[in-house]
Order: sequence, then structure tokens, then C-alpha cells
Amino acid sequence: MTWFRGLACVVFPAVVMLACTGVGTASAQTAQTAANGCVACHASLSDARLSAPPAALQGDVHQTHGFSCVDCHGGDASAAEKVAAHSAAKGYRGKPAGKDVITVCARCHSDAELMHKFAPRQRVDQAAEYATSVHGKRLASGDTQVATCISCHGAHGVRLVNDAKSPAFPTNVAATCGGCHASAEHMKGYTLPDGKPLPTSQLADYQRSVHHAALTKNNDLSAPTCNDCHGNHGAAPPGVSSLTTVCGTCHTVFATKFATSVHAQIFERACIECHSNHAVLQPSDEMLGTSSQTVCASCHSDKDDPGYVASAKMRASIDRFKHGIDSSANLIGRVKNAGMEVGDDELALNEARTRLVLARTEMHAFDPGSLDGVVGEGMKILAGVDQAGNRSLAELAYRRRGLFVSLAAILLVVIALVFKIKGLEAKS
Amino acid sequence: MALTSRIVEWLDERLNLSDVRHFIQEKGVPIHAQKLWYYLGGVTLFLFMVQVASGILLLLYYRPSSAEAYESVQFIVTQVEFGWLIRNIHSWSANLLILAAFAHMFSVFFLKAYRKPRELTWVSGVFLLFLMLGFGFSGYLLPWNELSFFATKVGTSITGAVPVIGPPLVRFLRGGDDVTGATLSRFYALHVAILPATATILLGLHLLFVQRQGMSVPIKTLRALKPGERLKEMPFFPDYILRDVLVWYIAIATLAALAAFYPWELGRKADAFAAVPAGIRPEWYFLAMFHTLKLLPSHIMGLEGEMLGVLAFGLAAAVLVIVPFLDRRASRGEPSPALTVLGVLALIYMIAFTIIGYMAA
Repeated sequence: MTWFRGLACVVFPAVVMLACTGVGTASAQTAQTAANGCVACHASLSDARLSAPPAALQGDVHQTHGFSCVDCHGGDASAAEKVAAHSAAKGYRGKPAGKDVITVCARCHSDAELMHKFAPRQRVDQAAEYATSVHGKRLASGDTQVATCISCHGAHGVRLVNDAKSPAFPTNVAATCGGCHASAEHMKGYTLPDGKPLPTSQLADYQRSVHHAALTKNNDLSAPTCNDCHGNHGAAPPGVSSLTTVCGTCHTVFATKFATSVHAQIFERACIECHSNHAVLQPSDEMLGTSSQTVCASCHSDKDDPGYVASAKMRASIDRFKHGIDSSANLIGRVKNAGMEVGDDELALNEARTRLVLARTEMHAFDPGSLDGVVGEGMKILAGVDQAGNRSLAELAYRRRGLFVSLAAILLVVIALVFKIKGLEAKS
Repeated sequence: MALTSRIVEWLDERLNLSDVRHFIQEKGVPIHAQKLWYYLGGVTLFLFMVQVASGILLLLYYRPSSAEAYESVQFIVTQVEFGWLIRNIHSWSANLLILAAFAHMFSVFFLKAYRKPRELTWVSGVFLLFLMLGFGFSGYLLPWNELSFFATKVGTSITGAVPVIGPPLVRFLRGGDDVTGATLSRFYALHVAILPATATILLGLHLLFVQRQGMSVPIKTLRALKPGERLKEMPFFPDYILRDVLVWYIAIATLAALAAFYPWELGRKADAFAAVPAGIRPEWYFLAMFHTLKLLPSHIMGLEGEMLGVLAFGLAAAVLVIVPFLDRRASRGEPSPALTVLGVLALIYMIAFTIIGYMAA
């Protein structure tokens, strides 16, 4: 899916670059007149398929840089007659389709020298990468249903991929891919390597995932969407052997811990075994342990099974730590509400919470011993927090006792003063 | 006693204290129904002395830089023996001081105690109130916590609405374009040197005026006297002083209870890059003004609303200073109900807008 994004990167800057090269300059020059001829004629056509493209060009990145119809479609925009304008002698190629789309786009987007003038950091290997993708391979074998550049980036009204309106913008990628992959009709006939029909539930599954929530609800554009795991121009399903690598691209520490675990040798689908692929839900401590709702229990249901014992130990360890944090936070909250200064204790509590995150990470090594080490360090921090909290409570009680003693002394002085004043009044 | 007498005698021989002694022995305080209001000045003075004493103690540990201010206050309240008590008393006393000063001012206003010949006492008192507000504003920033940082940003920016001198005044107050460590240094200098020095001089003058002229008697009480009748008096020393001390004891008990049960929160350290926290508001005594400025439309008759608001408050302050010279009826010993009504309206406005501002924040 990300390859769509890449293709967009190819198409737009290529066109942009054309404007600056010799070819580009010539094209740009012809564009002024060419556009007028094409647009003037097509705008007056009653067939919407033919009259819509000129209007769609508004805001198109290629058009913005001076490119026009003839740069992709060929022909002569200055000709007054349709026949002359669509003359093959003038290079008219009509509406590119299938492999031709790749060729037309790659003309510029695979030209490093040309692209350098428009977008020096722009990659120029998208077409080559596309050829290695499932889409590219199927296209080469004659399947014209597969996605090409325009499937993901659009044909007219192409926008830069960092434009939120682009179909290849991170928040739009899933819907773009889903346009084909969520359509049972479109995907009919496509199968998995084992011969089963290719599912069309990926989009719906992804939309339930924690990744989708991070991307769309938290506006975290670094959260993964289709292309981040499958690639974009070279889109293909990640192989079973590279699943840990794919997830580990972001979840580095988890992948490192998992690699040391006994499961690394056993799990056929690595991370996916427990977390699923498209429907990666919010992980929780409830996934760990021995009850029937846990992930562990699906394999380790026998009480004598070492995995059963280990998962029980790890869950107990994490629960103990969590309860410790809650209890310490409660204590510090009470002290804070009483107006005592707890800045250092709150910092220590945050440190303990960080240790909980580390403990959950460490759990992916599936070694109760190493988990206990991390939890133990966290519990030491909590012990310090509790000690400080209890000291503050004792200090508070001391202050209040001191206050009552002081108030009693002040009251005595006040009573004495009242008597003295009464005495003076009586005298006068 | 013998020792005390010998010391007094020794001093008397050298300094000739007989005049002072005579003044104290002869000084009387009028007794009337409103005499309770006259203790407010003494309470204000007492709280000012508490501020000076607790402030000096805080100075022993406070470090006035953006890098250390917060930590030093944190150190005072957590590590220094009874530091928490000193800091809490300083914070609470500051608020009670301003409350007492306002109450004192309004009592003097409603009893028309500013009338001739006490105009200068009133003027010095009003300037002292302004100084107390200045103490509050400058002291609020010193702990360098999030709330005070952003409140000072808002507070100083309001100064910018003053025509012509506003923008340079803001830069002068802040020591730059924004609230930074330079602002903290300035506010510190203002809080512990400039304002105390000015306040000491003004307070000395204010007390001198009070002692020279004695306590005022309400017009109503004077008019109720029969011809030839004299108002009863009590000796200033020890009768009145003992009553003052009694009130001071009650004040110190209140302060201690507030410090022990409602310690002043320190909050988080100021971070210029952090998002503005919710509920930013100035201290309660600026809340009425702050909320009024917030409610003003952006433009009134083509002029900036905030600028007009600031000018109006400046005008109100100026009118407050010259009240004794405006109230000609009171200076002739006649009631002046129009000014009383104005004062009541001002008081209602201040209380109402403070409450509304507090709830809105």
C-alpha cells in the first residue's frame, strides 16, 4: 500500500521536474497553449468522462508546475481540430492504462537527473520497486486489475503525498488500499499461497486496531498504516520469517526481548500469534496468565506445563507491581491533598510507572526471572515513595498537634488579656 | 522592675524621654459605637510586621534565579526546619494583609475618617494599599511555578494596554519581551528592596500622622453630642494597646491554623514551553479587575476595550487618592450620603466580580 504513496512521489515530482529540464521547459511552454486547446474542447463535451479531467486538474501538482494534458497524453494541444490534436504523429497516446501508466509516469519519475531539479531528495526507484511487488508482478503477467500509479495517487488532481487531501496521505492510505482490498467483488479470484480465497476483511480489522486509533484519533502520523508493514511501491505481504523484523521496526525493544525467548523458535507467525496482524488491539495485562481469557491459556492450559507456571508467575509479578503503584499513588494523593509538598515523590512514582512499562516489555522474553529483576527495582522505588508518604503523614500529624498546643497557649494569653482589660475598665 | 526603672532613668537622663512619656500617658482614644473598626489599622500593621519577619527568614534560603527559585522554595518547605511554617505564614499573611488593608480603607471611607484635617493620612494610606498590591503582584512570581509564571505573563501584558507608555512599561517590568529569569530578578528586587523601602517611609509617615492627629470620631457620633458634652476616652496605654494586642493574638492564631490546615501549594516548576495550564488567574485581589477586562468588548467606540478598561481603573485609583478633597461636605462635618452610596456600589462590584471571576476561572 505504501507503494501507492511512493508512486505518487514518482508521478508528481517527475512532472514538476519536467518543467525545469529541456524537456520540461519545452513541455511547460507547450502547456500554456496546449492546455487551452485541450481544456477548451473537453470542457464543452457532454460526456462527463471526457469533460471532467480539465476541471479535476485544479490544484494538481503537475499543473501547478506548468505541465499539462499533452505531457502525459501526447498529441497537439494547439490544433484546432480533434483529428489533428489526437494525431499519432504528434505522439498522441490517449488514456494510458495498465503497463502504460507505469511507463508514462516513469518517464520522468525514474529520471534522476530530471527529478533532481524539482525534488533533490526524491527517490527515482519507484518503478523498479513496483516491478518487484505483487501488483507489479501480476501486471507483468497480464492482470490489468491490479493497482498502478494512478490507482493510489489519482490521475488528474494529483497531490503531494504530504498533502492531507492526497489518497496516499497516511490517514487516507487504508481507505485507498481498501478501495480494492476490501471489495469482495474486486478481489474475487485472488487467492492466498495455500489456495484459500484472499480475505477482504483487512480494512475492517485494521480500523479496529490500536494503530488506526493512534493514527486517526491521536493524529499520530507515525502510527502504522498498510504501507508501513507491506511496503508501498514494492507492496507484498511480509513473509513469516520477517514478521518480527516488520513489527520490530517500531517495537524495537519488544523484538529484541522476543528474540531471546523460547517462543522465538516456536511461533510460526511471531508477534501475530498473540497480537494478530491487522486487528492489533490495545494490549493489556489481561492477555497474560492462566485464566481462559488469556492468550497464554490457548497453548498452556495444563497446570504442569512450565509455560502455565511461568505465565502465572509473570502475571502475579506484574499485578503485584501494579497494585503497589496504585497504593503508593493513593498515599501520595492523600498527602498532596493535605497540602504537603510531594514533587519528589511524584517524580519517583513516574519512575516506577516507567519501570512498569519496562516490565511489560521484559515480559516478552517470557522469562519470569528477568521480569522479577525489573519488577524488584520498581518495588524498591515504591518502598521509598511509601516511606516518604508515611513520613509526610507523620509530619502532618505533628504539625496539627503543634498547632493545637500553640492555639491553646494563645487562648490562655487571650483570656488573660480579656481579664486584664476588664480589670482596667472596672478601674476607670 | 527596679532594673527596668533604672534603664528608663538612664535613657531619660541622656535622651530626655519625658515628652514621649508624657505623650503616651496623656494620649486618649475616643470611645464610641464604631470603635471596633479602628482596630483594622492595627491588624494591618501587625500583618505587615509578620510579612517583614517571615520574609527575612525566607531570604536566608531563597535563590532568585529561574534555575533555582522553585527548587529553593521546595527546599524551604521540605528540608528547612519549620520552613513550611514560615513560607505558609508568609503566603497567608500576605493575603490577610491585603484583606485587612482593604477593610481598613473601606472602614475609614464609610466613617469619613479621611475628612479634614486627616487628608494626608488617607493619601498615604491609599498609596500604602497600592504598595501592598505591588508586593502581592511581585511576590506571586517568586516561587517560579507554572501558575505564577503564566499569571504574571497575563498580568504584565495588561500593562501593555496603557496608551503610549504601555509597551515600554511591559518591557521594563519583564526585563525583556517575555517573562524570563530577568523578570524574576526584577520582581525580586522590587519585592525585597524597592517596595519595602518605600513602604517603610510611607508607613512611618502614616503612623506619624495618626499619632499627631489622634483618632477620628465619626460625624454621626460627633453630631449626636449635646452642647458642651465631651466624648469619653480610654487611655491609649495600656488600655487601647492591650486591645490591639488581643486582636493581634487572634490574627496570629488564624494564621497558624491556616498554615497548618491549608498549606500553600507550590505546584509545578514554571516551564515557558509548556502549554498554558487551565485555570490561570491572578491573585484574588486582582480578580475583579482581571474579570472586568475580560468581559470588555475588544472595541468600544472605536477604541481598544482593554485600553479603556485600564484607563478607567487608573482614573478610579486617582479618584480614590483625592477622595478627601472631593468630599467637601464631610470636611465641613456634614454627612455625604452620595459618596457613601458610591462606596457601597464599589464594594459590591469588587465582591461580585471577584466571586464571578473566581467561578469563571
